[in-house]
Amino acid sequence: MRGTLDGIRVLDLTAEPGFLAGKLLAEMGADVVKVEPPGGDPARRRPPFWGGVEDPERAILWLALNTSKRSLTLALDHPRGRALFLDLVARADVVLETAPPGTLDWAALHARNRRLVLCSITPFGQTGPYAGWRGSDLTVTAMSGNLWCTGDPDRPPVRCSLPVAYYHGSIEAAAGVVFALLARETTGEGQHVDVALHEAMLMPNIGTAAMAVMTGNRGARSGAMMRQGRSVQREIWPCKDGFVSFALRGGPARIPGLVAMVRYMDEHGMASERLKAMDWTRYNHNLLSQEEVDALSAEFGAFFRTKTMAELYAAACERNLMLAPINTPREMLASAQLADRGFFVDLEHPGRGRLTLPGAFARTTPASVAVRGPAPRLGEHTAAVLGEIGVDAAALARLRAEGVV
Amino acid sequence: MSGLFAGTTILELGGGAAGPLATRYFADLGATVIRVESRQRPDFLRTLKMTPGTRGGLDGSEHFAVLNAGKLSLALNLSHPEGVAVARRLALRVDAVAENFAPGAMAKWGLDYASLVRQRPDLVMISTCLNGQTGPHRFYPGFGGQGSALAGFNHVTGWPDREPVGPYGTITDSLAPRFAALLLAAALFHRRRTGQGQHIDLAQVEAGIVCLSEFVATYTATGEILGRVGNRSRHAAPHGVFRCADEDGRERWVAIAVHDDADWARLVSVLGSPAWATDPTLATAAGRLARVAEVEAGLEAWTRPRRALEVARLLQDAHVDAAPVWDLRDTHDDPQLRHRRHFREVLHPVLGRHPAETNALRFSAMAPEIRAAAPCLGADTDRVLRELLGMPDAEIARLRDTGVLA
Repeated sequence: MRGTLDGIRVLDLTAEPGFLAGKLLAEMGADVVKVEPPGGDPARRRPPFWGGVEDPERAILWLALNTSKRSLTLALDHPRGRALFLDLVARADVVLETAPPGTLDWAALHARNRRLVLCSITPFGQTGPYAGWRGSDLTVTAMSGNLWCTGDPDRPPVRCSLPVAYYHGSIEAAAGVVFALLARETTGEGQHVDVALHEAMLMPNIGTAAMAVMTGNRGARSGAMMRQGRSVQREIWPCKDGFVSFALRGGPARIPGLVAMVRYMDEHGMASERLKAMDWTRYNHNLLSQEEVDALSAEFGAFFRTKTMAELYAAACERNLMLAPINTPREMLASAQLADRGFFVDLEHPGRGRLTLPGAFARTTPASVAVRGPAPRLGEHTAAVLGEIGVDAAALARLRAEGVV
Repeated sequence: MSGLFAGTTILELGGGAAGPLATRYFADLGATVIRVESRQRPDFLRTLKMTPGTRGGLDGSEHFAVLNAGKLSLALNLSHPEGVAVARRLALRVDAVAENFAPGAMAKWGLDYASLVRQRPDLVMISTCLNGQTGPHRFYPGFGGQGSALAGFNHVTGWPDREPVGPYGTITDSLAPRFAALLLAAALFHRRRTGQGQHIDLAQVEAGIVCLSEFVATYTATGEILGRVGNRSRHAAPHGVFRCADEDGRERWVAIAVHDDADWARLVSVLGSPAWATDPTLATAAGRLARVAEVEAGLEAWTRPRRALEVARLLQDAHVDAAPVWDLRDTHDDPQLRHRRHFREVLHPVLGRHPAETNALRFSAMAPEIRAAAPCLGADTDRVLRELLGMPDAEIARLRDTGVLA
């Protein structure tokens, strides 16, 4: 089996917010053709560049999120380009796009191909009072409640420095496409899938936005801490060479890890009598005062400062401690777990060398998800893709001369 | 079509957020999702905030309720061999199995894919945990906070001069369900077309790292480890969150993202073209990035006395990307979320009327619906055993008496 989406043809018109959606569909076996303007996708011009050379084939953002796709250049603002696009739509299963609502005409596309699924990823959705608003990672996250709750209490709300709203929205879009393909199996008809990045950023609150009207908790920033019960508990702790994530919270799933952590500290002579005397099997963070939490935290914190991220994570894996290092790509590439699973792939980029990238986003039996190739060079597959709709070499030469491809 | 998954049944084992949020996509599109639960070892969300005074006990958790709307609950004691036998019969009978236990748990009960597929060759099953079903760290027992750390999200969230923070809500817990829904839907699509089943091993850390491909590729291509930059952009300015006038005694903020020089020119005219902003050296992104703190201070002086929504409206009217920063409660009054009916009211037996949330997908020819509140533990035990397994009432009573349905 190549993939679960074998034979599904996707035209990918997305800008950065939708790059991941096409990548995921391609890695499940779909034939994803990135449709770029003849000058190339704007992401190809964004620094940094691999090797420091400003080159549309070396833009890291482009290379990272467009793996496994093919590239076709087509001037959609040119009447011939538009006509060729509609010819491609006639035999496509899916069009992915991120243009402002109303740019693509769903009715016209649907008339051309009744089986087509159009998936639109926009900041706020296709209709509604804010549908015409501009939006991007920062601003859609601002309106989700998620930004409000992220960051330090004495600073403004803060976002992740990489655009997580685009990742959430893209995975949502890929799922929406497959739901629509499944529906088509029954109805024979495609449909328009409307993904709002803003609404996609509600789920990362893990239900707490819905709960706000039940509990009155409007959310608050607590920095490296987490607020629960009557106190705040540290969540991210400094260690010898970085930071680790560890929760001093109870419950059946966590208590064995707390017991094991105290034993580990004791082996290093760093568990006080008070810590050892505690009945950890009855530990309930909800019942502790802030003073009690702070006293416990001081002991755990002092211990973590004597150990590196690697030492603490090795112990966590051996002893089932619920502790994790605050990883950077350096630690990920050194991970024995990821190496054992063959996660990273080393992709040959013709003329540029090999680049290591994250691999399949899941493993299946039988195997069906894989990074199938590097991000395409600009227009690399123009002749092949247009050849599939009957554009021969002579016609292609004319299109090139007219600036259509 | 009314419900894409009407007639489809998914058996769910496990708990927390990462597993249960995945099957919500299917429940909202008409699937019957049966949670296998037990009083012996309840879902940790049922107990997370529990104290001896919690009304409704295990059924009184708001958190469990909002994440599990529209599902059924079957109480089954998996420490009892007859409980395992019932789970096995159900797993072989349903359309898909979704589980998010630590690796090894399902195998211990003989409910793992390898055991089940012998009797159900076209089985579709997803297993999701932090590190995956194989490898030396597969038994590592973390929650979403640890997944977020391992996948790299914490390192890039926060301020450059402060310690890292998490993106609020332990992000792998919300990325993983989306990946799981995608993979499960594709497996069902594939089975429909070919008759073949599939086992999916979704390692939440790996899927998270795939999202952060730009972070990884920057390191492997250049050796640079991207750090925390607060709300700033490496490519454009101003790009940040600015203080506005307090409202109802609470701090208010507005997010403003200038993406290019044309955006800046329109922003400056909304500001009334003050002298500091019309400085020609600020007309280019490079010029603004070189003096970013000064630009931010100038902008905040303008936003500070104004209401956040008013600032956002003024800027959006000029086609500048800006938005008020809502707190969790504010999202209920957001007109766009209302238009999309993001929150839907359900009636819960213990908690009463409360909002539940649907996903970010709307379709031209089908509509997600939340059909019921989350179940009380074991609320649907008899119905599931009767309807799915055709179990006689006397047998159900016997299992209950022997502690199997607890």
